[in-house]
Amino acid sequence: MTASADSTSPDLALAGAIFDVQRCAFHDGPGLRTTVFLKGCPLRCAWCHNPESWSRIPPEAAPAFRERRATVGELMAIVRKDRHYYDASGGGLTLSGGEPARQPRFAAGLLRAARAEGIRTALDTCGCAPPSAFALLAPHVNLFLWDYKATDTAGAPSLHRELTGRDPGPLLDNFRRLYAGGADILLRCPLIPTINDTPAHLEAIAGFARDYPRLAGIEIIPYHAGGLSKYDRLGLPRPALKTRQPDERTKARWLEFFQARNLPGITLA
Amino acid sequence: MVNEHNIAAALRLEPRPAPWEKPLSLELALTDCYKTLRDARPAAREAAFLRIQLPAMMTPMRDGDVFAGRVRYPLVGLSPELMGVGYYCLEKPIREILANPAAALDDTARARIGDMLAFWKNETTHAKIRAAYPDDVRRVLPEDDWPRHPGAAFPLYRMAGITLDNEKLLRLGLPGLAARLREKPGQSAGQPAPLVENTLAVLELLADLSRRYAAEARALGQAETAAALDAIALREPRTLREAIQLFWLVTLAAGVCNYGRMDVWLGPFLARDLDSGALTRDAALSLLRALWRHIADSHDNMFNNRICVGGLGRPDEACADQFALLAIEATRTVALNQPQLSLRFHRRQNPALMQAALASIGEGRTFPILYNDDVNIPAVAAAFNISRDEALSYFPYGCGEYILDHASTGTPNGLINLLKILEDTLNQPAPDGATPDERFPTFETLWNAYAAQVETTVAALARQEKITYEGAGAAAPFLLISALFDDCAARGQPVFSGGARRLGGTLESYGNTNTADSLTAIRRLVYRERSCTLGEIVRACRDNFASPDSARLRRRLLDAPKFGNDDDEADSLAARVHEQACAAARDAGPRAGFDHYHLVIINNGANTVLGAHTAASPDGRAAGEPMANAINPSPGLDRNGTTAFLNSLLKIRPDIHAGSVQNMKFARSLFSPASLPKTAALLSAWFDAGGTQAMITVVNRGDLEAAMREPEKWGHLIVRVGGFSMRFVELSRDTQLEIIGRTLNE
Ligand code: SF4
Repeated sequence: MTASADSTSPDLALAGAIFDVQRCAFHDGPGLRTTVFLKGCPLRCAWCHNPESWSRIPPEAAPAFRERRATVGELMAIVRKDRHYYDASGGGLTLSGGEPARQPRFAAGLLRAARAEGIRTALDTCGCAPPSAFALLAPHVNLFLWDYKATDTAGAPSLHRELTGRDPGPLLDNFRRLYAGGADILLRCPLIPTINDTPAHLEAIAGFARDYPRLAGIEIIPYHAGGLSKYDRLGLPRPALKTRQPDERTKARWLEFFQARNLPGITLA
Repeated sequence: MVNEHNIAAALRLEPRPAPWEKPLSLELALTDCYKTLRDARPAAREAAFLRIQLPAMMTPMRDGDVFAGRVRYPLVGLSPELMGVGYYCLEKPIREILANPAAALDDTARARIGDMLAFWKNETTHAKIRAAYPDDVRRVLPEDDWPRHPGAAFPLYRMAGITLDNEKLLRLGLPGLAARLREKPGQSAGQPAPLVENTLAVLELLADLSRRYAAEARALGQAETAAALDAIALREPRTLREAIQLFWLVTLAAGVCNYGRMDVWLGPFLARDLDSGALTRDAALSLLRALWRHIADSHDNMFNNRICVGGLGRPDEACADQFALLAIEATRTVALNQPQLSLRFHRRQNPALMQAALASIGEGRTFPILYNDDVNIPAVAAAFNISRDEALSYFPYGCGEYILDHASTGTPNGLINLLKILEDTLNQPAPDGATPDERFPTFETLWNAYAAQVETTVAALARQEKITYEGAGAAAPFLLISALFDDCAARGQPVFSGGARRLGGTLESYGNTNTADSLTAIRRLVYRERSCTLGEIVRACRDNFASPDSARLRRRLLDAPKFGNDDDEADSLAARVHEQACAAARDAGPRAGFDHYHLVIINNGANTVLGAHTAASPDGRAAGEPMANAINPSPGLDRNGTTAFLNSLLKIRPDIHAGSVQNMKFARSLFSPASLPKTAALLSAWFDAGGTQAMITVVNRGDLEAAMREPEKWGHLIVRVGGFSMRFVELSRDTQLEIIGRTLNE
């Protein structure tokens, strides 16, 4: 964070599109957190649990979702109500989505306002935004929750593109740039049996642990089949994902893969 | 439940041991005894009555009992609370027995039983209390049978929530207690006070009883139990086993079902036995587990059976902690819905206690229930208007009402349904034919009318409670209770007739949240947005939201802010409803002659029962539906997450009532090793911010649904329903669905 970044008071009138605010989130970073979900996502992950985030425009068909435009000031009024829980647990504010870096000015404004009140921040991102967006955001983020979704094999068609709709290159470039700039990053890897848990992918995750020793951690997030009814409410076809929820044996097998490579720091979320 | 089991046994014509094998023969003998002594001094009458009742109601040991002491109350008898207040006669089951051909009663017996019923009609303590109501109290409380009649307020006949000074009992033992009484005979004009003389007689009865049980224990091959029973007939207890045995016999004989700060009085016995090597920790744990099972089996009462451990004000904290940890371990491993173990804790307490508590809760036990001394002690001091030192002995009994352990009374003798009062306020026919909108042109005019109604009702309830105490005191001194209750001995007075250090009362309040949410919706729609009239809301509620217009209005009522979402618009009215009703009780107490009289916002299923007789309400609740539980949000309407729910609770003042209940349901996953530190931090931050207490059910929605499908596999699943814990599979389908609907914090 540069000194000038916070020398002016935060712009509380800055507004953005969100689709939910979850208080007392247990799984969106350290401690107990308030998570603001920003709308808009350039990816189309085959297992996405938040399809209502995809479009920036509220769909007519989804009146039940808590979609709205909200200002930094409004959101901070909610965020600061739980400060005693953040303080007790080491938690804070998390921005998630969608891809929060697709609304960089609004996201940065909100993060900055939280930090100005001494509330720690996290940004949950898939990395798919222009480098300038991350440059704007980085000074206000205590911890990046970085999703790493799939690994391509040389010579084969891109699995990442097949599963998410985008090439992985620019996303990884963003990651490397932030890492080099000294950002704290927790790598989060959703593993979906038979879909992305290929040997190449597990090997790539292990590679992250070796190549980026300053990572705040690497978490494996076992696939969970929930939230599919959201597709029905949005009038979208449910993803035709041929998979199942990983059983204990599968999870143990994943962990053994990393333990065998002497990487006990890779844990199940 | 003790009373239900006892009535059921009588209806099954289960014979009693000799000489009372014949149905209702004990009841007839007790009636004769009472008739003979009707005009004698109450103490003498009680002692003579107990000479028959006690040996007969203390039923034989059963094979496998580690402790002696089971009760089966007669259908006519004397009890402080379990069977009714004072001298009671249960007419309905007696008539059923009369009608049962298998009862083999000859004509003489039938005639005598008929006479007996006629005699008690106006002679039970209940009847005398009811007859003593002045007209204005009778007008507010026309009906006693509250589960079957609609109404805004009802009397309850009982002297609930008495705890005994078990420390004194165990220090002195039966002979020591008798010696102490003889020392201070409270002579008046040279005569030994009847209170002392008759208490000595009851203590002698207890020693006899102990010897009788010793013989039974020996016959069952329980040598250690027999030895303990022989010992406590002769001297003070010296081991943990003897101490528990004495406590249990006296408790049953006194008719008490809440046990106070057990770690204070059993801790020293545990420490001595461990130090001397008389017990290993495992052996001590199995004694406690046996006690827990014995309480649940022989004294089944999920609304009571409270045991408290932990907290400030224990003379030997380390020694008490050692017992507390064992008690929590017993609760965790026995896995029953009672006793209701409660943990008082404070900031500087040994953290091992809270860790053990969370481990037990995390396994789905619902116990211990957590009480935050850092908030509750100053709150009790303020509410009861006593010093902090005196407040150290606060004890949540029953469903969560506070008393001062063996020093203050606090029985809830009334129910008030605030939502019914709002319903009555809105529907009262105006003499001049004015519409609701004309009668209440501003929100404050509506509020004032509601608040005045609450005040009138509460004032009548306070007077009725005082009359109940007077009736109980006139009936009997309750000799054993008075022997072990603070200041009775020093003052030479029975507990309900000037002996109790503090004469307190409580009033159970229901519908608080629905009332607040209803007022919030009315204020917003009628007086702020002006988007509908009060008349339209009243009509929609009368119509139970049936017509299309009413149904549309209901959606808007449901959309209005609700308590439990950390939304000040709703929460501030919840606080106002709470503060007004609490103040009404607090102020009515001294006027009625109490040292303190307070609202308790607990739950024991009355939210459901009273809800069944309450019309649709302006918060969008349909007619007959349960009202929200205690001060919790309406089921499923707290939608902003656990921290928002917890923050809303913080806005309800704790220092103006005598206990409120906060039920929380957490997903089991939040107690997994990975999440537990966050859950612990959540609770500790809440308690630091002013949270008073928490009753935590740990469960998965999937668990609950599976338990409904396959009840046989889910007998172990215990849920907190309000002021009590129950096996989920034993709840009615309605309540099961209500619990599944209540917001689960995941
Ligand atoms: S990045 Fe997240 S929000 Fe976007 S499509 Fe993928 S899973 Fe859904």
